[in-house]
Amino acid sequence: MTTQKPLPYDDPAHLAAHQFLVEEAALLDTADYPGWLDLLTEDIRYLMPVRVTTARGAPAGPQPGMGHFDEDMYALRKRVQRLATDHAWTEDPPSRTRHFVTNVRTFRAGPDELEVESALLLFRSRGDTREADLISAGRADLIRETQEGLRLARREITVDEAVLRTQNLAIFL
Amino acid sequence: MTMIDLAAVVSQVRRGMIPAHVYGDPEIFALERDRLFSRSWVFLAHESEIPDPGDYVVRRVLTDSFIVARDETGTVRVMFNMCLHRGMQVCRAELGNASHFRCPYHAWTYRNDGRLAGLPFHEDAYGGEDGFARSGQRLLPAPAMDTYRGLIFISLDPNVPKLRDYLGDFAFYLDFYVSQSPAGIELRGPQRWRVKANWKIGAENFAGDSYHTPHTHASVVEIGLFREPKASKRKEGALYQAGPGAGTTYKLPPGGDFASQLRYVGYPDAMIPAMAATWSDRQKALVADSGFMVSAATLFPNLSLVHNWPQIDERGTVRPFISLRQWQPISERETEVLSWFAVDAAAPEEFKRDSYKAYLMCFGISGMFEQDDVENWVSITDMATGSMARRLNLNSRMGLTSDGKPVKPPVAAFAGPGVAYQGFGEYGQRHWLSQWSDHLEREPVTQKATDLGAAR
Repeated sequence: MTTQKPLPYDDPAHLAAHQFLVEEAALLDTADYPGWLDLLTEDIRYLMPVRVTTARGAPAGPQPGMGHFDEDMYALRKRVQRLATDHAWTEDPPSRTRHFVTNVRTFRAGPDELEVESALLLFRSRGDTREADLISAGRADLIRETQEGLRLARREITVDEAVLRTQNLAIFL
Repeated sequence: MTMIDLAAVVSQVRRGMIPAHVYGDPEIFALERDRLFSRSWVFLAHESEIPDPGDYVVRRVLTDSFIVARDETGTVRVMFNMCLHRGMQVCRAELGNASHFRCPYHAWTYRNDGRLAGLPFHEDAYGGEDGFARSGQRLLPAPAMDTYRGLIFISLDPNVPKLRDYLGDFAFYLDFYVSQSPAGIELRGPQRWRVKANWKIGAENFAGDSYHTPHTHASVVEIGLFREPKASKRKEGALYQAGPGAGTTYKLPPGGDFASQLRYVGYPDAMIPAMAATWSDRQKALVADSGFMVSAATLFPNLSLVHNWPQIDERGTVRPFISLRQWQPISERETEVLSWFAVDAAAPEEFKRDSYKAYLMCFGISGMFEQDDVENWVSITDMATGSMARRLNLNSRMGLTSDGKPVKPPVAAFAGPGVAYQGFGEYGQRHWLSQWSDHLEREPVTQKATDLGAAR
């Protein structure tokens, strides 16, 4: 992300960013998706590129050029609206999720913006007979300081698997 | 393990009654491996994924790994990814660009056209050509390989009919997805993920299940993402079966001409002349005169296609997208989905961006259509693996009367080849299952092994 050093862990900006991510995870784990949308800026970009297996030090070759997510506010609002209908079958019964957020590093990106890296382990369980899913990912966030408080302006999710072992992404990371 | 009575299973399937256990039965899965995937044409990749010499992707047919590479002369090669010496997987990346592939075990090295370029200590170890005839050796080529409009298929049976002959009348419909201009399509992806579902269910669904759309996908209509899937509109679509494929269409608004119908589904004026010049009069007539637009389809056995036109912004802009997707069997209970975004290579950049957004909102692992589809397929598979499923034959006779006649006659004014019916019916699924039955009834393909560089 950057060559500069992360802010010290006792820096108020780092503490605020860390608290933001933990509070965000609490909203996602309680499926408070409208509350989660309120934490996003209107110009949000929410990305999750497809990862591929390439040889170490491989020269540039073809790339998938594809994401699992590449969302703006319209797309995210539609997803949240859909989950609020009575017909989003894949989340009825809903998943039980736990977003474990760790390895938080905060960088000063500008007068009112922070770049924040974190590691995410998402545990997802549905029903009573299926095996639970784990999704491990890194996240690189751009968090903006606004009049209303911190808001997420950009998130790039670097998932650690090339082939995802979960039924779908009807959840957010 | 009890041996299943294959003849009884096939005979039920041919009646349109499907023994439920076929969606979760390891014996059926073994028969599919030995009698279907050992013989049928199977999609591997599109040429746009490997545009330059040395570009490669690695893809599988069941557990067999193949390198799909463009060699230095620009020729596409498909090679079994197993070293001729000790059998290690030669290329372990998923994609890249390479002039050679070198086996990590003993450094046998192959050119990107598959030819063996070198092996260490050939003279010392083998006494040169006498002990191991190096010249002329190459990674095992796919037994049969052929392309159609850049789509690369292989078959494990060298005696398979030519691909174009196999595609038959389905090519007419395939062109709507993969040939919108002389430039053809370009693929992005694939997204890959594993679902605990039998591979047949997705293939059947795309072949003709318009009946599920109003209910399974009710949520996407409710949120205003896609205006078409309401039951009243969906049942106006035609379901066609042609050659080895089958698919669904939507009925277009009455009175439109060719250009206005393409505008209705969101194609910009800049793309319409190329479609008019590329498609045959009969293909254009399907849109302009019959008034149908292709949507979901399956080419037997496991390549599906989809073309939908959702709203991509608050202003209500409608943009179409195309996806190719493969149901790659892992076991009777698990499938790897490979889902590509496809777009006309000559389309304006703005259209490509919008169409990509439309795709991601609807299909793929995060797609709002696909999420609910897979929920159904996982649940069916889960139910099909036990003993009670052996007591139930699922009714797949929708659209047939008790004496096997269509409930309604075929659409008379349907410009496309094959046969088409309007209204709900499981014609496409039966068409797919009939081919499945044909394969399972044939004897397994047996092939001789090749001796490489053997003693005389």
